[in-house]
Amino acid sequence: MLLVEDLHAGYGTSEVLTGLSLEVRAGTVVALIGANGAGKTTTMRAVSGALRPSRGRVVLDGRDVQGLDASRIARLGLAHAPEGRKVFGPLTVEDNLLLGAYARLPRFFGFRRRAKSDLDRIYELFPRLRERARQTAGTLSGGEQQMLAIGRALMANPKVMLLDEPSMGLAPVIVQEVFRTIRQLKEAGITLLLVEQFARSALEVADYAYVMERGRIAVHGTPAELHRDERVLSAYLG
Amino acid sequence: MKRLLLIHGAELAVFALLAAVPLAVANPYALGLLTLLAIYGILLIGLDVTVGYLGQINLGHVAFLGLGAYAAGICLTRFGLGLFPALGVATGVGILLGGLLALPALRLEGPQFALATLSFTALSFTFLNEMESLTGGAQGLSLTRPPLFGHDLTPRAFFWLCTVLLAFVWLTMRNLLHSQWGRAFEALRDSAIATDAMGIGAYRHKVAAFALGSGLGGLAGGLYAFNFQYLQPQSFVYDLMVILLLGVVLGGRKSLWGAFVGASIVVLLPNLLSNRHVFLAVSGLGFLLALGSGARGLVRKTTRPFQALAPVVAMGLLVVGGLLVKNTEDWRKAIFALMLFSVVVGLPEGLMGFAARALTRLFRVAPSPLPAPSPLDDVLPLRVADGSAFLELEDLKRHFGGVKAVDGLSMTVRSGQIHGLIGPNGSGKSTAVNVISGLYPPTSGRMRLRGRPLGTGSLYRAAQSGLARTFQNLQLFGELTALENVMVALKGVYRSPIPLVLLGLAKGEERRARADGLALLDLLGLKDQARTRAKDLTYGDQRFLEIARALARKPDLLILDEPAAGLAHPDVQRLIQTIRRIHQRGIAMILIEHHMDVVSELCTLVTVLDGGRVIAEGSPDEVKRHPKVVEAYLGQAGPGDAASEPA
Amino acid sequence: MNALIIGQLAVSGALMGLVYALIAYGFQLTYATSKSINFGQGELVMVSAFFSLTLLDLGVPYALMVPGGLIFGALLGLLVERTGVRLALEEKSEGWVLLTIILGLFFFSAAENIWGRDDRPFPTPLSQNPVQVFGIDITRMEISVAVGVFAIMGLIELFKRRTLLGKAFEAVSADRDAAELMGISATRTVMLSYGLSGAVAALAGILVSPITTVGPTMASAMILKAFSVAVVAGLDSGFGVVLIGMILGALEGLASFYIGSGWREAPGLVLLILALAVRPTGVFGKAGIRKV
Repeated sequence: MLLVEDLHAGYGTSEVLTGLSLEVRAGTVVALIGANGAGKTTTMRAVSGALRPSRGRVVLDGRDVQGLDASRIARLGLAHAPEGRKVFGPLTVEDNLLLGAYARLPRFFGFRRRAKSDLDRIYELFPRLRERARQTAGTLSGGEQQMLAIGRALMANPKVMLLDEPSMGLAPVIVQEVFRTIRQLKEAGITLLLVEQFARSALEVADYAYVMERGRIAVHGTPAELHRDERVLSAYLG
Repeated sequence: MKRLLLIHGAELAVFALLAAVPLAVANPYALGLLTLLAIYGILLIGLDVTVGYLGQINLGHVAFLGLGAYAAGICLTRFGLGLFPALGVATGVGILLGGLLALPALRLEGPQFALATLSFTALSFTFLNEMESLTGGAQGLSLTRPPLFGHDLTPRAFFWLCTVLLAFVWLTMRNLLHSQWGRAFEALRDSAIATDAMGIGAYRHKVAAFALGSGLGGLAGGLYAFNFQYLQPQSFVYDLMVILLLGVVLGGRKSLWGAFVGASIVVLLPNLLSNRHVFLAVSGLGFLLALGSGARGLVRKTTRPFQALAPVVAMGLLVVGGLLVKNTEDWRKAIFALMLFSVVVGLPEGLMGFAARALTRLFRVAPSPLPAPSPLDDVLPLRVADGSAFLELEDLKRHFGGVKAVDGLSMTVRSGQIHGLIGPNGSGKSTAVNVISGLYPPTSGRMRLRGRPLGTGSLYRAAQSGLARTFQNLQLFGELTALENVMVALKGVYRSPIPLVLLGLAKGEERRARADGLALLDLLGLKDQARTRAKDLTYGDQRFLEIARALARKPDLLILDEPAAGLAHPDVQRLIQTIRRIHQRGIAMILIEHHMDVVSELCTLVTVLDGGRVIAEGSPDEVKRHPKVVEAYLGQAGPGDAASEPA
Repeated sequence: MNALIIGQLAVSGALMGLVYALIAYGFQLTYATSKSINFGQGELVMVSAFFSLTLLDLGVPYALMVPGGLIFGALLGLLVERTGVRLALEEKSEGWVLLTIILGLFFFSAAENIWGRDDRPFPTPLSQNPVQVFGIDITRMEISVAVGVFAIMGLIELFKRRTLLGKAFEAVSADRDAAELMGISATRTVMLSYGLSGAVAALAGILVSPITTVGPTMASAMILKAFSVAVVAGLDSGFGVVLIGMILGALEGLASFYIGSGWREAPGLVLLILALAVRPTGVFGKAGIRKV
């Protein structure tokens, strides 16, 4: 579903990604783990078009999307729940969700009616969001904002969803909730690329995992294979 | 040497040529233009201080020209002051009003600043127009050029006076802008926060720079008054302001030569328009230039299509328009607009910026050699660490709205210690450091440094009291070289008062500053990158440069905010070695870090935060085993949920 | 009697102030999406007014002239965005300040040469008889200003709150990068905001022209006051610009009567500099937290 080949990207003159390749098959959850600064978030940004890669190929559902604008890639079916959540603070929770489906809703009128079933689906998944539908997103707690960010990405009915550091800055209890949600998504058959600092938990939900080191993939394999890898075990799962 | 010879030689040649022209040319009209060139030269050098060095769009400069002109005129007609006293008053008015305007206006950024200065221009026009008793209002103010030392000033003598003043301004400004002052101005443009944190006082430097530029505007105004001997408020409005900006941008920002070239263009433009053939020749040339450089840029892919095409279209319009329109004078503003548009889009660095690059390549001008680094003991003297309480925080709180980012933090940093501060994302480490270093005032709580209360809410004051910090998201002065970054922050070297700096008598301390700066770069392993612009350094080197710059403050307490974030493994080792070496100089440190191995290896004491509160404190080994730390931060292989290493 | 004069001056001034508010609202529209404003907005007001006058001269009925003028203004706004703003925004530079000033200069010169330098009257279908409210005369043109200003601001605010595109507008303003990730093209949103801003400027021109006459310099004083209003009120609050605009207009009416007509600009400018000294982000602006 998503194929990345020999991706190079960076900021200014410093290159963060130095030839990264990975693949996410339809209906699977793939984890991307690695140390701080290895380039995980940069990978996500380069794939979704928030950052323009300098070289390489990104193929989404058979279509080369490398170098397109982020908004274009999003309309082609890639949803990115970014690091730090980035919900639209001044807008209400419901508006945030509606904007998640921006690409496939009418621009002026009738969008609320059209989005009704999708909204209900999200509210079923996150009942807390229904309670807060009219509240502005900025007033939500960190955990609720993360739910909103995931819900907003789901609203697009994406082919592939990128989920970047969903546990960042959250209390351990909330982190557990986030992982429960991810497991639910997996059961619902969502194709997911997950970046996570809690590598152990990430490996528990993932079907396949890549370990990043200095801008490229160092090791990859199924979680079981990685658990057998001495080096990975000591460096990331210690 | 070759470099100095070329630069000074060129300056000398131009001024000699300028001064010699009246001996050969007797044409009063040409002399008038040259006088105006000298006056506008001073004016644009002043404007370049704000537009070039501070990087702010200043639409108020023309007001200072007008106010200076009227100040000089009124001094002369009302109070019978002589020529130099009147010029002095004009300059003073510029400095004073410039300072007064800058105080509120420079708290603004970008468009708001431009709006504020634009309003000042309008206000000063209203004032000049309406204070009829003083300025003569719309009727204008007539005056006669005063004698100098008892001699009547002929136009030729007045021209020489203006040229001498221009040369004087040029020299003093060159001295100033190449001193720590000029560097501070540029540093401000790149990161005001870091400038404050380096103890430079961003705001007051900005105000000083603006006042200085305005003072030059006032001086130019005084000369303007004596040149035309008739003043009208209508001369000092927005239209002229746009033309002045055209001069600076066209000539090239941050360059005395640029200001000079810009002034020549501003002076010559009206003449260019009055002669049809000259106009067609110039616009045709401009069109070809735009075409050539646009095509080159497109082929080499150095410019975007719009950047290459827009100047061609604009210049093309100029050529076609020039052929169609009967009277080019009528279209004066549109012609300015098209030319200015082409330059701003196609040649953002201006004519001189372009020329300077070409000339440097052509003559292979080598930069002046670097001195040998000073001995490290002179730069960072060894201090004795007695382990006494150095920085004490008591129940420190900082809330943002309802978010309790720091909620009752108490800790003590002892002298000569490396004190680790760790915790999960959002636990309040960065906020704590931002409160200590003065970026945010605390909501409540006490901070004491060496037993005395620490000033709060000002990066500048905290820096003055001996704190230095690095920034997690780098705040380097990107356009300055690595060495200049360090020199900006260097403490205790610059002692000469401003007059000596202006006269170029502070070169000794400049040399010393270079040597000291190099010593610090050497300590961080950056000596070979001394001349590289900070933004062109690798990410790792930028992190190290942040530390070198903070050390230039010769701090008692150094705060390192995630220095290892994003560093590759070898660089992390290099970082550990470096921090050890800094520690050996007896400097206390607070180290915020996510890499637990860095913390374990370096810190004597570690404080762990979660949710804005301290959950544990002790030696690295103690906290690693502390159950709360394991639960909230380090994690363990728990029953199937969030738990792993803090990557 | 004296109170009546003061009331009269204040009310006429405040209604005039609504025009400043409308122009300032045009700044807010573009500032919201791109943190940039068009420094040549005054020229847009003026050129659109001239264009509308030409439409009337050509025999276009009044009811068609208004939408025609608005569309023309919107097109000019798009032109400004494409030539003056987009490149600078892409490079994250402040080049747009200079470029929009330059474009304004160009429009000004073009208008001078196409329509002449003289002021021309702008016809209005409204009768000249004023309406009396509590003894204060209000001309029908002034009423039309109030109606027009509130109508377009209301429409745009409705658009922003009730349509998905409007919400996208606010999303870009809240977080440009995140909006892109939702499939919202920030560039197109900025274009749209410049188009709207241009239409707003055109409406300001059409509304004010019957009162001030049309000429190349008709907007140069107004634009300064609109700048003051925008800075004093802050660049976020539509309600703020209306309030500050009316206060400023009223003050101005009083100042020109009591101090002298040449000083009518002064209160706005003094208010501006004072407001900056006290609250740099504007009275209704949001104070940001410095982040590192």
